[in-house]
Amino acid sequence: MFDVKNLHVSVGGAEIIKGLTLHVPAGETHALMGPNGSGKSTLAYALSGRDNYDVTQGSATLDGEDLLSLAPEERAAKGLFLSFQYPVEIPGLSVIAFLKASVNAQRKTRGLDPMPAPELLKLMRAKAEALKIDQQMLKRPINVGFSGGEKKRFEALQMAVLEPRFAILDETDSGLDIDALRIVAENVNALRAPSRGMLVITHYQRLLDYIKPDRVHVLARGRIAASGGPELALELEREGYDKYLRAA
Amino acid sequence: MNLAELPNRRVEAWKYSDLRAAAGGALPPARPSSPERESLAAFAREKGDVIGMLAAAHGRAERQNIVGKHEAVVGGRVDGFGARLEVLNVVRNAELTRVIIQNGDDIDLLSTHVRLAEGAKFRQFIISEGAKLARIETRVSIEGEGAEVELNGVYMCGERRHADFTSVVEHKAPGGTTRQLVKGVAAKGGRGVFQGKIVVAPHAQKTDARQYHHGMLLEDGAEIYAKPELMIHADDVQCAHGNTAGGLDERALFYMRARGVPEAEARALLIEAFLVEAIPDGLDAAIRDELTGRIGAWLRGARP
Repeated sequence: MFDVKNLHVSVGGAEIIKGLTLHVPAGETHALMGPNGSGKSTLAYALSGRDNYDVTQGSATLDGEDLLSLAPEERAAKGLFLSFQYPVEIPGLSVIAFLKASVNAQRKTRGLDPMPAPELLKLMRAKAEALKIDQQMLKRPINVGFSGGEKKRFEALQMAVLEPRFAILDETDSGLDIDALRIVAENVNALRAPSRGMLVITHYQRLLDYIKPDRVHVLARGRIAASGGPELALELEREGYDKYLRAA
Repeated sequence: MNLAELPNRRVEAWKYSDLRAAAGGALPPARPSSPERESLAAFAREKGDVIGMLAAAHGRAERQNIVGKHEAVVGGRVDGFGARLEVLNVVRNAELTRVIIQNGDDIDLLSTHVRLAEGAKFRQFIISEGAKLARIETRVSIEGEGAEVELNGVYMCGERRHADFTSVVEHKAPGGTTRQLVKGVAAKGGRGVFQGKIVVAPHAQKTDARQYHHGMLLEDGAEIYAKPELMIHADDVQCAHGNTAGGLDERALFYMRARGVPEAEARALLIEAFLVEAIPDGLDAAIRDELTGRIGAWLRGARP
């Protein structure tokens, strides 16, 4: 499904990711854990194609198709989704207009007709209800005045509506209180499917109590320093990242 | 008026909009005078209003009393050198909502003087695609207690297009409110100008005035000039102002692209979102649609 091989990423001339290899098979959810500054968000941005995150070496493919040569919007249309750690505020653009533009742009790139407006609205409303998102929020400008929890719920809503093939969740737990965390996690879990993969990036083990990963990887100094089962997350919670930082 | 009387950039009020240079030696023929136009010419001269003087001599000049509640759309294509003067007297508790659609190509000048009596309301929204030189001047004099002013606008200046929004609001009576939000974009070779002055007289206590101008430079070689001025001579007032000029938020652009929206469309949507914020909620739905339609069309390539 999702394959990253020997990836090197530089930002402003400094190499942050230094030969990262990762394989997430279809149907699995993997966790990527690491201390601050280990390159977690850099990896997420580079995989989604953000400007100034320069891939200098290596490959990233989704179902065998190269991602790195594609524009961010083309990667999205292939089914890649990034849930942002810090969702951006866009005054003047409503949630409905944003989702409509996203859904129909992706459909267009895939050669499909736009989804009829009433159908799309119905879909958004149903998904919003499942996330316990107030229907009024759909009319508000994107992320403007949203609480931390609302922002992350809105990310989850976008994911639910767009139904990506592979999702990268960057620090989805930050800014969430425990109730919001549970709701977001339930909805992420509901999207787990035999054909879909996910990479959950987190600093803390807490999120993994709710989104149970199949595999856990430790990112330290730009490389995968260790991989294991869910028990690895518990070990990290107990013992911290020190030993990986020393070893790296 | 003759050409030598046209202000150039050495005249402070016209330093970003050099009318003499833009006119390039062409003034339309003078119109035969009438007592009304003579009186308006004298009025304009007394106010130091160049556009008004030009309008009285070469263009269209009129005076109106506004009684009751009115809505007006000021538009109509101006060919060549166009100058208009409107002097509006909004009587006690009367309301005027006015939408200006500026779409001349050459020299397109409009000057409006508004006098507001007690409890009168004046709401104006300008949409401008600029011209060789377009300038819309609005001078509002709040003379009665509790009058309300809204002066919003959007300018979109493509290559070799110049739009200038100049306004002066004088609070001469207590308890008045002014709301001004102007947003604009300039492409390469385009120029936007915002000059907004708000004056609060010593006895105009409890005045509540807010003025914001936000410009967005779409490309290198775009120009936006802003001169906001707040002159407050009263002590019990609420006044706020803000002025910014910058580029498109690259983080927002990436956010949209990461959701599958191609770059050109993402830019258009973001700029549209930026501009439509200045369109007042209170406008009639059909007019709103017309205005958002114009913004959308301009952003998607239908630039003059």
